Amino acid sequence: MRTFIAVAIFGGGIAHATLGPALRIADVAPDIPLIVVVLLALRRGPEFGCGTGFLAGLLQDAASGGMLGVQALTKSLIGFAIGAVGGRLRVSQPLVQVPGLVLLTIIEGLARFALLKLFHFPAPFGELMAYVVLPQALYNGFLGAALVLALAWAEATRERVS
Amino acid sequence: MVKIRAFVLLGTVALVCLLLLTLQMRGHIAGASDALAIVTTPVQSVLSRVNRATVGLWSTYRDWKNVRSENRRLREESQQLRVAALRVTETVEENRRLRRLLALKESMPLATLSGEVIAREWGGWVRSLTVNRGRGDRVLRLTAVIGPDGLIGRVVDVRPGASIVQVLTDPTSTVGGHAVRARTQGIVEGEPRGTMRFKYMARDGAGIQVGDLVVTSGAGGLFPRGIPIGRVRAIDDRGSALFHYAQLTPAVDFARIDEVLLIVGEGTHDVAALFPATAN
Repeated sequence: MRTFIAVAIFGGGIAHATLGPALRIADVAPDIPLIVVVLLALRRGPEFGCGTGFLAGLLQDAASGGMLGVQALTKSLIGFAIGAVGGRLRVSQPLVQVPGLVLLTIIEGLARFALLKLFHFPAPFGELMAYVVLPQALYNGFLGAALVLALAWAEATRERVS
Repeated sequence: MVKIRAFVLLGTVALVCLLLLTLQMRGHIAGASDALAIVTTPVQSVLSRVNRATVGLWSTYRDWKNVRSENRRLREESQQLRVAALRVTETVEENRRLRRLLALKESMPLATLSGEVIAREWGGWVRSLTVNRGRGDRVLRLTAVIGPDGLIGRVVDVRPGASIVQVLTDPTSTVGGHAVRARTQGIVEGEPRGTMRFKYMARDGAGIQVGDLVVTSGAGGLFPRGIPIGRVRAIDDRGSALFHYAQLTPAVDFARIDEVLLIVGEGTHDVAALFPATAN
């Protein structure tokens, strides 16, 4: 399990920069580390969510050449929040998963934008939302739901076998 | 209930991040990025290689699938084209045959009626063709039937919509003929094995040679004179016998004839000049 988590954090953070482009649809790439952080936070709680968010975000910042700490902070916040309230959500339903991940991606985008604005980030908000955050949010929603279903299926199969 | 430890962790993380950002803005921690890069770069290289290999494998699979479907499509297209080519060839061949028949019909000094072969009887007892011209077309019994290459036979039965043509290879068929070069008269008879023989008087040597053309003699007025019947394939010399025989190769391929001309007009014309076989 620890290996899985290490791979998920490390792989999720770095894989985003390397494998993300391969998953592009109409120039929109999913935020794989965010999905990984959310899934782990739901299973392991706020501390774990916060820690994985920080690590995954930091690695993502380093791998993408951005400012160190931006995504580390936003993803740790997301991980913490989801870990804290996740127990009250019926996350096994795709009707919750898809809009949930869409919403989380938008929140993460807004947080990132706000943080970067503090450090004089020049990009206009409207364009950033329309062309980057919203399309990515939709993509994350469907990809995340698919991952949840795949994991549930894998676990069910494993239980049946054992 | 979220533990206090979790909030402490979150606060620490937030603090570290903000510190990192602030220091970066002031240009103090360029080495931090380098230190992280030591960890991230090798992993990125490995992942990139795995990615390239996977994408390569995937695109190979897709290419293979495309090639397979294209191969199937091309095979179907090829079959359709073959069928179309066969149809074209058949049409061209039919066109050529009909043109030859039309040319013969137009140059023939006697009234003719074109007909199409609709059936064949090819057993050893009877060899005949059924032509789609009958009583309604005023076809009479014993009407001569020809093709662009020569004589086919004669009508032996007339029905309302069709006529039965006895071909020259029918065992009961007899036609008066003469060898063009040797000017030897005789009778062409059909044989049960589907061949023809030329029965002639052999006194003092008829002078017939292999390859000689035998045409209708016009004797009896049933067939116009000069229609090719066949060429001498072999000579059966019977010494002092009254008759000698020559095996003939028919001028017409009866098995493949599809269109015919029925000579419905009367007359004793020599039509030898109308057939290419008589030119040699």
